[in-house]
Amino acid sequence: MSSLLVQMLEGTVTSLQIFFLTLLFSLPLGFVVARGRMSKIRIVRWLIDLYIQIMRGTPLILQLIFFYFAPFYLFGASYDRFTACIVAFVVNYSAYFAEIYRSGLQSIDKGQYEASHVLGFRKSYTFFHIILPQVIKKIMPALGNEVITLVKDTALAQTIGVAELFRVAQTASSREFSTVPIFIAGIFYFVMNYIVSRIFVLAEKKLDYYR
Amino acid sequence: MQEMIRLTDLKKSFGSVEVLKGISFSVNRGQVLSIIGPSGSGKSTLLRIITQLEKADDGSLVIDGQELFTSRSGQAVYNRENARAIGLKTGLVFQSFNLFPHFNVLRNITEAQRAVLRRSKDESEAKAMQLLRKMELEDKALMYPCQLSGGQQQRVSIARALALDPEILFFDEPTSALDPELTREILHVIRALAEEKMTMAVVTHEMNFAKAISDNAIFMDSGVIVEQGTELFSDPKEERTRKFISSFDS
Ligand SMILES: Nc1ncnc2c1ncn2[C@@H]1O[C@H](COP(=O)(O)OP(=O)(O)OP(=O)(O)O)[C@@H](O)[C@H]1O
Ligand SMILES: [Mg+2]
Repeated sequence: MSSLLVQMLEGTVTSLQIFFLTLLFSLPLGFVVARGRMSKIRIVRWLIDLYIQIMRGTPLILQLIFFYFAPFYLFGASYDRFTACIVAFVVNYSAYFAEIYRSGLQSIDKGQYEASHVLGFRKSYTFFHIILPQVIKKIMPALGNEVITLVKDTALAQTIGVAELFRVAQTASSREFSTVPIFIAGIFYFVMNYIVSRIFVLAEKKLDYYR
Repeated sequence: MQEMIRLTDLKKSFGSVEVLKGISFSVNRGQVLSIIGPSGSGKSTLLRIITQLEKADDGSLVIDGQELFTSRSGQAVYNRENARAIGLKTGLVFQSFNLFPHFNVLRNITEAQRAVLRRSKDESEAKAMQLLRKMELEDKALMYPCQLSGGQQQRVSIARALALDPEILFFDEPTSALDPELTREILHVIRALAEEKMTMAVVTHEMNFAKAISDNAIFMDSGVIVEQGTELFSDPKEERTRKFISSFDS
């Protein structure tokens, strides 16, 4: 029993690695994608839109398989499962975060830019001090939902053989002819998401001092 | 008399629609110009070009002796070196206030002083508090814009503009988003500024107010100045002006 728990904790560490690495890369990358999606250059806008549509229009499980096997078929080389898994998650989540950022950016009244311009703020100052704080507040709820989805999506990494929490639980379950490990995994996911949603509630509260 | 604004033959189109068809006027230091006219006549576009929110197509503009753009072979050519300095001489008060919702009242007024004029924290806060006292809002310094009435928000936005010590202040229908009582608050503030000899250009639909404070007035319609001079309030010469002015009689 205790060795099962140790295994499951190891799986959890892997799940958390997928979770944090995905956030680390896709939160900023999503921003770059959002800018591209709002680019003045039509072809850039179109390509970025196509990418977002593909990411949203196909299952993540399929994307995982694609990113794991594509290098092998294309270049005859392959890379390890974990890297493939991170690449797939980052590419997928950047698209989702980009759409959230874009809706946030577009919800800011153009009067905010105009007032900033008339007051003499430079473009980057306007962005970081006037626009971005308001965008962050606006997108907090949508971002919270997406991050919770990410916690659950990490379970999909098992399709390409990454030994994350759910795979460990399933393996143990069939080995011991018991659903207990699956149930324990459920509790683990629930606890992780409980923490995530608490953090977002706190953040939203902290930003609740205006409007 | 020192000329603060000299605008000559300003033209501006959006796509194929010519919105300003050759606007010229000048404003001397300490004077108040009111700009009136029906919706769509180009009043906001005019202010937005002078405050550099839009680009002119043709014409020339000199602000306080510095050229912002000049007409060369039918095109407005901007003087890039002057643009920022001129921008600091002009302030604009919007119809919709456009305060920064995530900053409290004090920070709304200090932010540009610090970031743009590089004033110290103490200096910018002292300046902000002095302006808030003038606007009778000193007790609201730590509140957020959403906690204020429209009239109070507009007074904060006037203080925000004044904090940068502009040479000329522009108002684009500063009371149109306010009900009559709050409108009076704002008109009171603008009138006080006029008495202090602040140079101003005001787009407004408040005819009695405009008549009372203006040293000069222009009536615009479809992108041209139809009539100029304060007599247009009491004794309009043009039929179009007469019609417009009389539509405000109640
Ligand atoms: N960015 C823009 N793009 C296209 N057309 C514009 C733009 N801004 C203004 N216009 C058009 O230019 C004309 C003049 O607009 P402007 O806002 O200057 O009028 P106004 O006199 O301020 O009217 P109001 O009293 O309603 O504020 C209008 O027909 C308007 O539709
Ligand atoms: Mg207007």
